Amino acid sequence: MAVSERTTGTPQPIGFSRSTWGRVGLVLRWIALFVAVVLFLIPFYLILRNALSTEQDITAPDWTLFPSHLQWSNISELFNDTTVPMARAMYNSAVVAILGTAGQLLLASMAGYGLARIPYRHADKVFYAIVATLMIPGAVTFIPSFIVVSSLGWVSSLRGLIIPTLFSGFAAFLFRQYFLGFPKELEEAARVDGAGYFGVFWRIVVPNSLPFFAALAAITFIGNWNSFLWPLVIGQDSSSWTIQVAMSTFITAQTINIHELFMAVAVSILPLVLIFAFLQRYLIQGVTQSGIKD
Amino acid sequence: MSAPAKTSAVPATAGERRGSRRRKGIAGNALWFWIFVGPFVIGLLIFSYLPIIWSLVLSFFEAYNTATPSKFVGLHNYVDMLTDHNFLSSLGTFTIFAVFIVPLTFVLALALALLVNQVKIARAFFRSVFFLPTACSYVVASLIWKLSIFNGVRFGLANTVLGWFGIENIAWLSTVDPPWYWIPLVTVRLWLQLGFYMILFIAGLQRISPTLYEAAYVDGAKPGWQVFRYITLPQLRATSVAVLILNLIAAYQAFDEFYNLVGNVNYARPPLVYLYGISLGSIQDLGHGSAGALILAVIIMLVTLLQNRIFGFGKAGD
Amino acid sequence: MPAHVPNAGLTRRDLLKRTGGLAALAAFTAACGGNTGRPSSGGGGGGTKVNLSQWYHQYGETGTQQAALKYAKAYTDANVAVQWTPGDYGAKLSSGLLSSKGPDVFESQFNIGMVKSNQVVALDDIIADVKDDFLPGDLATNTIDGKIYGIRMIIDPQVIYYRKSMLDKAGIKPPETVDDLIAASKELTTNKVKGMFVGNDGGNGMGGPALWSSGGSYLTEDNKPGFTGDRAAKAFGKLHELYASKSILLGAPTDWWDPTAINQGLVAMQWIGMWAVPGMQKVLGDDIGVIPFPKLDAEGKPAVYSGGWTQFVSAKSANVDAAKKFVKWLWIDKSEYQEDWSLNYGFHIPPRKSLAAKASKLQSGVAADTVKLNEDYGHTDNPAWTPKMGTAFTDLLTNCIKKGADPAAEIAKAEKTVNAELSRLFG
Repeated sequence: MAVSERTTGTPQPIGFSRSTWGRVGLVLRWIALFVAVVLFLIPFYLILRNALSTEQDITAPDWTLFPSHLQWSNISELFNDTTVPMARAMYNSAVVAILGTAGQLLLASMAGYGLARIPYRHADKVFYAIVATLMIPGAVTFIPSFIVVSSLGWVSSLRGLIIPTLFSGFAAFLFRQYFLGFPKELEEAARVDGAGYFGVFWRIVVPNSLPFFAALAAITFIGNWNSFLWPLVIGQDSSSWTIQVAMSTFITAQTINIHELFMAVAVSILPLVLIFAFLQRYLIQGVTQSGIKD
Repeated sequence: MSAPAKTSAVPATAGERRGSRRRKGIAGNALWFWIFVGPFVIGLLIFSYLPIIWSLVLSFFEAYNTATPSKFVGLHNYVDMLTDHNFLSSLGTFTIFAVFIVPLTFVLALALALLVNQVKIARAFFRSVFFLPTACSYVVASLIWKLSIFNGVRFGLANTVLGWFGIENIAWLSTVDPPWYWIPLVTVRLWLQLGFYMILFIAGLQRISPTLYEAAYVDGAKPGWQVFRYITLPQLRATSVAVLILNLIAAYQAFDEFYNLVGNVNYARPPLVYLYGISLGSIQDLGHGSAGALILAVIIMLVTLLQNRIFGFGKAGD
Repeated sequence: MPAHVPNAGLTRRDLLKRTGGLAALAAFTAACGGNTGRPSSGGGGGGTKVNLSQWYHQYGETGTQQAALKYAKAYTDANVAVQWTPGDYGAKLSSGLLSSKGPDVFESQFNIGMVKSNQVVALDDIIADVKDDFLPGDLATNTIDGKIYGIRMIIDPQVIYYRKSMLDKAGIKPPETVDDLIAASKELTTNKVKGMFVGNDGGNGMGGPALWSSGGSYLTEDNKPGFTGDRAAKAFGKLHELYASKSILLGAPTDWWDPTAINQGLVAMQWIGMWAVPGMQKVLGDDIGVIPFPKLDAEGKPAVYSGGWTQFVSAKSANVDAAKKFVKWLWIDKSEYQEDWSLNYGFHIPPRKSLAAKASKLQSGVAADTVKLNEDYGHTDNPAWTPKMGTAFTDLLTNCIKKGADPAAEIAKAEKTVNAELSRLFG
């Protein structure tokens, strides 16, 4: 029996047999898979349904599966609603996510490279000082961080939203580990051609590490776009709200209709869905790399 | 072979040459090191170290509505927080939450990974479906959960479905007895994070060498549970530990969905929501807030270390 | 200090969130004050106008934001930037006051902590001439140690409005005791309609009124906890009874401060403020009646929470004098704007006797009834009741109402917190 098993194909983490019980198991697994798919897709279905419905359709006592007339005008209604700063919030989120990601990668990659490759007496101490910050959970320091940022006068400003988030010890750590494994021969060839650390880094190391950068960029971008607590603390003034803060505010403040709010949701997840569609490979690498620490 | 840029005119012994270059190199290296690492370290000092130190200072002062207090109170704030039944019960809330969410996430993410990993058709599709919620923020998910799935009136999805079976509307987020509010709170987090951990497990599964399974079959291991128990699970050890730790830390820091779904209510209030309320809400008591934050930080560090000790994180590197 | 009237620290929080209408765009120009903030010499000398930022919470009624902008624009002695804040205004405001980018002028509710931590400046000089035109309660609620720190802008009585037709149909008289209220709520409940909506939190907003209706108070005259004792415990127990009667609406998409639930016929009665009267009349016409929170029993007395908003000048403002001048102009001198603000959007009682007397919109129908109830049974905030005490009280209510916890034990817990606060404040 064991022998016949081996001929059925690639061995599986859970092997399954072709016996009756095996078939039942197979069917059960497919059922489980489909149930899971349906459950996972329900929220997306609700976003689409509600975003394209009229308010009456949504609040009607009987469930409408999908609006018979798709209300595309909800989009213009959302952005023309002068009482809700959604366009501004989208802009803020885009700036925060893009600049935040670029800045974080730049700083962390340079720091990681310096730590991995430039011999310096105190490099170890610096490295430990960076790793030590990983021990303190980020969310716990939001109160004192707010105080620091507010004494810099950065409350309710894009500076306050972006700059304090740029210094990720974790990203620097990941970059260091990555650069330690970077093929030295490439760098040495450039060295011989007379390039300094700067030249080697920018002309050899970065161009040859783009998949790694892309992976971290994808995951950082998503984190920045979706981040909530820090923008909530910093964005006191509606002109500095990110899309997350704006949506959260309107959950409690009933100044906006449900269909408009769901249109806001749909618009807010669009950039990320696009990333998922086109950059999923990098994203998965990013998850894997940031999930497993060593 | 291109000539080295600077060949010294006077031939020197190899040792001398290397020595002088190294000495010069060290000064240059220090400079370059700080050019690369300096900006990052400065930022870290300002935005990580300074806040932590400031927080430590504040925790020893009476600091109402001010970040530059003058009244030193010693350990008073710590004593208050450690005897504050609200803070303690928020730690309790977290514990209950972790007890639900950590094992559930672990088992379900592993189950999804196994299911996805063994389908032969449309595997990318299935993986994408489960991974896609990671694109949504807690705010987005809370909004869907609160307004569309679990609202307490007739047009909520959950109540609509119950209505088909003639069950009365349930006010999901407002009902304390029985504590229905845990259903939205737990499911929202599962929906958001299962895909992430599933990806980690899939990566782990794919690193397991097929020869191990073959060897197991040769040895007569029964397919199914035995293989899973004696091959798959041990091989996933490193991944499992990572998933558990990330998960537990994330649960400790729960804020977004609680804030958005139930607000600052004392029956489902994780530590961070409570600390937010007393330090940046209308109370503005930064002394107690800072003390509480530091206590929480210490607890998280201890639990992480303890977990490392128990599971031996890092022993089986993969 | 005249600590004669109890207050509702907890309803304040809810009140802060009461909303329903408009959101903000207002970019605000920050006054460039240092973090320590020092009182400064008024406007910057050479003819240039100073910039002031004025913060509002988000009023639910249509047109309020435009009105606030209109007033600011009409002021010629300074450039006033209005910031309109949806969401958790209390949190935004207190962190704004902590930072250097906070408001110069803001609306809020007063408590002693604001004075202790030097957040607001005394306004005796600008109110002196018209002091007698304010009701004593509205002055007391903003007074500490004989100094007045805020100018009352509007008074918002919170009461129970009901659908007359629904009560008539069920043959029920407007409830006069808490037991009547619970019985009525049960009787009015059908499979389509719930008896009452008291908020998605299960009725925390009625905690203060329930306490008053039992004869208790938040703090006594000599600043001791006034919410202890058997009658208070009984009152909190009644709130639980109402919650557990399965006759109240829970989990509604809008909360108690918004009239949607009663307007849509989801409930027969709703705990809400007078601000919503125009909104309810538009939909329900004359089919609205009003009662105060009913007395606990024969020994008790009905209660109305006389909430509202007050204007303050931030002590951290770089232009305290200019800010005071603006507050005097808008909330003392410009009576036509005060009238506009009180009557043309939602309904609020103008705190100035002279204005209230000629507010014709409040002199008929259910609005007039509400004003009368406020006169007879109104309770204003006690400035010694701090947000921390308010939070402890809210926790007490949540535990009693939702979890059905033993009121006496919960009272003891809250008492401990309140006593600690009192000894911090008064030694």
